[in-house]
Amino acid sequence: MQRHKIKRQTDFQIISGWISEGQRVLDIGCGRGVLLEHLMRSLRVRGLGVDTDLDKVQSCVKRAVPVYHGDADSLLREFPDRYFDWIILSRMVQELTHPGELIRQSLRVSANVAVGFVNQGYWLNRWSTLLTGSRPTNEVFPLSWEDGHPYNPVTIEGFRAFAGRNGIEVANAVFLKGNWRDSTGFLPNLTAGYAIFHLRGGSS
Amino acid sequence: MIDPPTESTEAQPGEVGLVQWKDFHWENDFVCESGDTIKGFTLRYETYGRLNPEKDNAVLVCHALSGDHHCAGIHSLKDRKQGWWNNLIGPGKALDTNKYFVICSNCLGGCQGSTGPKSLNPATGRSYNLDFPLVSIRDMVQAQYRLLTRGLGLPGLYAVIGGSMGGMQVLQWGIEYPDFVQKLVPMATTARQNAQAIAFNEVGRLAIIQDPAWQEGDYEEGRGPNVGLAVARMMAHITYLSDAGLEKKFGRGRVEGDAARSQFDAEFQVESYLRYQGQSFINRFDANSYLYLTKALDRFDLYGESGRLEDQLERVRSRTLVVGFQSDWLFPPGQNRSIVHALLRCGKDATYAELGLTLGHDSFLVHAPDLYTIVRNFLAS
Repeated sequence: MQRHKIKRQTDFQIISGWISEGQRVLDIGCGRGVLLEHLMRSLRVRGLGVDTDLDKVQSCVKRAVPVYHGDADSLLREFPDRYFDWIILSRMVQELTHPGELIRQSLRVSANVAVGFVNQGYWLNRWSTLLTGSRPTNEVFPLSWEDGHPYNPVTIEGFRAFAGRNGIEVANAVFLKGNWRDSTGFLPNLTAGYAIFHLRGGSS
Repeated sequence: MIDPPTESTEAQPGEVGLVQWKDFHWENDFVCESGDTIKGFTLRYETYGRLNPEKDNAVLVCHALSGDHHCAGIHSLKDRKQGWWNNLIGPGKALDTNKYFVICSNCLGGCQGSTGPKSLNPATGRSYNLDFPLVSIRDMVQAQYRLLTRGLGLPGLYAVIGGSMGGMQVLQWGIEYPDFVQKLVPMATTARQNAQAIAFNEVGRLAIIQDPAWQEGDYEEGRGPNVGLAVARMMAHITYLSDAGLEKKFGRGRVEGDAARSQFDAEFQVESYLRYQGQSFINRFDANSYLYLTKALDRFDLYGESGRLEDQLERVRSRTLVVGFQSDWLFPPGQNRSIVHALLRCGKDATYAELGLTLGHDSFLVHAPDLYTIVRNFLAS
């Protein structure tokens, strides 16, 4: 199995473990709908994906995963407070123009928000940047600077600080080592390659 | 609706070929939404493909304002043009007639064989003309329901698909007969027209009404307000296209030679194209029918008195795929999105896709591989 597929599975397993049967789940940046298809089959969640890429939307349709082709920010504005049980932001906050605003909107619309991201604080990522001076490229972020994709290097500490400043309740957090499989609790900002935060949405 | 391309640019998986229309007669009274009654009606329709033994593969196609029941194939070998959605419908195509039993009927109020203002009023023996009741999108759907259940004996529909006015009917199907339909595919449509769309319709109607030949709607067949109808069509046709589409097709190209005999003959290609569109329309469309159908479009309003789209869409039980087109400025993407937003707020299974085709409102009728893929996959899933 390809390495990035193993990584994807770990990510999915943790998030799936947090979600309960029959809940209403919005996956922002859902890609080809693999996670939602899994959740819809195994937990009978009422799923909805959002993606800006038509090709990925086509894949979702093929999987019978309901999907909204368009911009997540404007879609969230269409929903009342706490409409969803879960919003999933998996490996996409790095690539947003206004990630903080999207997270705040998600917390309004959903009782729970899962945010998973590659930890730029991981020592190998620091080392890579120290050596090359440029942003890391790997299978998660394959694009180089000239492709113009936004890239916000976010760290676990940086994320915690953001949550603190915004009064966001962190209900749970899982930190995975560089292999994205084994968890780590020791100095996660340095030793974790991947972080998944469970944020609690606004008051009910 | 623009005329379909003479030959499809598709890699042809197959054609439905020669087809024949049929007529369904409803003999009982039909009460319109307005409260007026007509003594029965006829719907002209075509079918392609076969109904399976389980009777669960029927797909209804709803046509747009100026469309008709002939959406695929040809009526005779001499036909230069195929049905208006021939590039979507056929063996192996997105709406695969090897899999689905496809039905399309000319709508109530139309003039291509179904009962409309031009039809004979049994009470007077003359054409209804303005005695025809104001038909609504809901009336069209209810009439079609009788065709499908009583005429064809269908227990339900696998899907209903259509663009523009057809898309309004698709939505109405989901609201009116939620348990009869499994999937809805409305596209390039709206839950209610905005002021701009109503404004364009009104100019078209006035062009007809102010033509002296209209005579309060009491013209004889073939001697109607042809000038007004042609102008209405020319203007409406522009709203179905786009700046980029017109520019690409015509630019500032001029008509060949010195065909222009006077200062105001068609000088640019786009002028002669529109004149041709207007002229060919008067040969196939009834002016009163145009008045009635544009009114049905204007009055269609799923927001209703409450102003909440959810009040109507709450009833929908079908899975829905809404498709909007970025270059559509008649029923722009935002109006298509609003339908999906409301469905999602009601907790419905709804999908939205927005296609980057450049040809405006009528993009759903042109060569559109992305549209074919999404329709095919949505129907198969």
